[in-house]
Amino acid sequence: MLLNGVVLAVNYALIALGITLIFSIMNILNFAHGQMFMIGGFVVYYLYGLFGVNYFASLVAVVAVLGVIGWCFEKFFFQRMRKMATREENSMLLAVGTALLLENLALSFFGEKQRGVPPVVSGVFKIGDAFLPAGRLLVMVLALVLIVGLLLFVQYTKLGRALRALAQDREVTYLMGVNVDRIAALGFALGAALAGLAGGLLMTVFGINSGVGTVYSIKAFIMIMIGGAGIVPGAILGAVVLGFAEAIGYALLPGSITYLLIFVGLIVFLLFRPQGLMGKPWG
Amino acid sequence: MYFELRNISVRYDKVRALDDVSLVLERGEIVALIGANGAGKTSTLRAITGLARPTAGEIWFNGQRIDKLDPAAIVGLGISMVPEGRHVYPFMSVKDNLLMGAYLRKDKKGIEQDLQKSFARFPRLKERLRQQAGSLSGGEQQMVVISRALMARPQLILLDEPSLGLAPMVVRDIARAIVEINREEGISVILVEQNSRMALKISNRAYALETGRIALTGNSADLLNDDHIRKLYLGLARL
Repeated sequence: MLLNGVVLAVNYALIALGITLIFSIMNILNFAHGQMFMIGGFVVYYLYGLFGVNYFASLVAVVAVLGVIGWCFEKFFFQRMRKMATREENSMLLAVGTALLLENLALSFFGEKQRGVPPVVSGVFKIGDAFLPAGRLLVMVLALVLIVGLLLFVQYTKLGRALRALAQDREVTYLMGVNVDRIAALGFALGAALAGLAGGLLMTVFGINSGVGTVYSIKAFIMIMIGGAGIVPGAILGAVVLGFAEAIGYALLPGSITYLLIFVGLIVFLLFRPQGLMGKPWG
Repeated sequence: MYFELRNISVRYDKVRALDDVSLVLERGEIVALIGANGAGKTSTLRAITGLARPTAGEIWFNGQRIDKLDPAAIVGLGISMVPEGRHVYPFMSVKDNLLMGAYLRKDKKGIEQDLQKSFARFPRLKERLRQQAGSLSGGEQQMVVISRALMARPQLILLDEPSLGLAPMVVRDIARAIVEINREEGISVILVEQNSRMALKISNRAYALETGRIALTGNSADLLNDDHIRKLYLGLARL
């Protein structure tokens, strides 16, 4: 149960980091994040599940596909919108639109069936009294590696520094000579790729269908609301809280009560701390 | 002419921020732009850096027309700006702030040398190197943003209200640093200030802006003693 919590938490962290990246850099709440997750899952389903491509190569393909989708979204939708729009609500509406677009494209291309893939690795590890299938362990380790890699990239590379700069002060970043449009598109691509990777990883455990997008978008929102929007450690913390809450809830409570409780808990929590655990108060 | 604004106008929506502003600067000069709030000082700097597009007029630098270039290209030509209100990257270390200034440079050694130069100029930055810039005092933040602009190795630096909100002692330090940068590095300076006295003291020439137009121009030393200027900008009216 707790092991499942860990597996969920690290993968959710991947989702939360992706949405945080996009939110903090562009001030866009990426409503299509769950749909990107779903597409990542389907890329793995087709390449690895149907065509027998190596699993890791499939994940690389996920990065490529979602990177292109994220890049195009920023380049052709959000960048244009930002140059024309006068109100912040516009970007939200556009984001909702992109989510619907992806979901309906997925429905018409992938169908509505639940899809799964054969396990990537077989075997079960016994840790204490608990059993951890090797597949889940692999997913967990890969997610951890990706998280650490991302954090190092953002903290210690020149590009990562430019991403942070853009998130903190857009106008000053123009004055540093940064090609802001390009860096923003890169940030969007990176965030989308993270969502897709989480999908490509978790689908080996839970399978995937065209409708899961909204569910994961909502989970992503819950995580950043718990942790505090736009804050990296907050995103990770939110993922840990949600991952464990879900794993424990599903093990102990019947059916759909878990998320009912999570939402009630979230509402109460936000009443007392609207900025999240690590966020700064607004205004 | 080294640097020149020719009949520049800038509008934001329907509001005219700058109207037919012309200004020249020789290599190595410090030129001050003084005037009240909303007179168009900041708009002038934004037009130069490409953050605002002039609706009319031309800007020339080093024999090249720059008013159609984007901000990154203008930085690449050697024009750096220190924006008003300091604007450090608050959640970045002082070091990362400085390195952002060198974003377009590839010469690792030169960057390292310039970091050392910043520490020599402002020893306090070295002490605070790993600290988040947002936690620094106002004066220290001003040191960060000036050093950050210098990390691009500019030929011309634009300073927007560097004395704003700083204690008189700190203002003096900043003023001294500006003169030093100009004399020792040969960097030309356009200095926007509401603290007109400080600006006129350290500049060669000055322009006074009023509601988006150049109202007056001359040698700073003369303007400092000009009755009209004293009354309007230095608050020394004796009736």
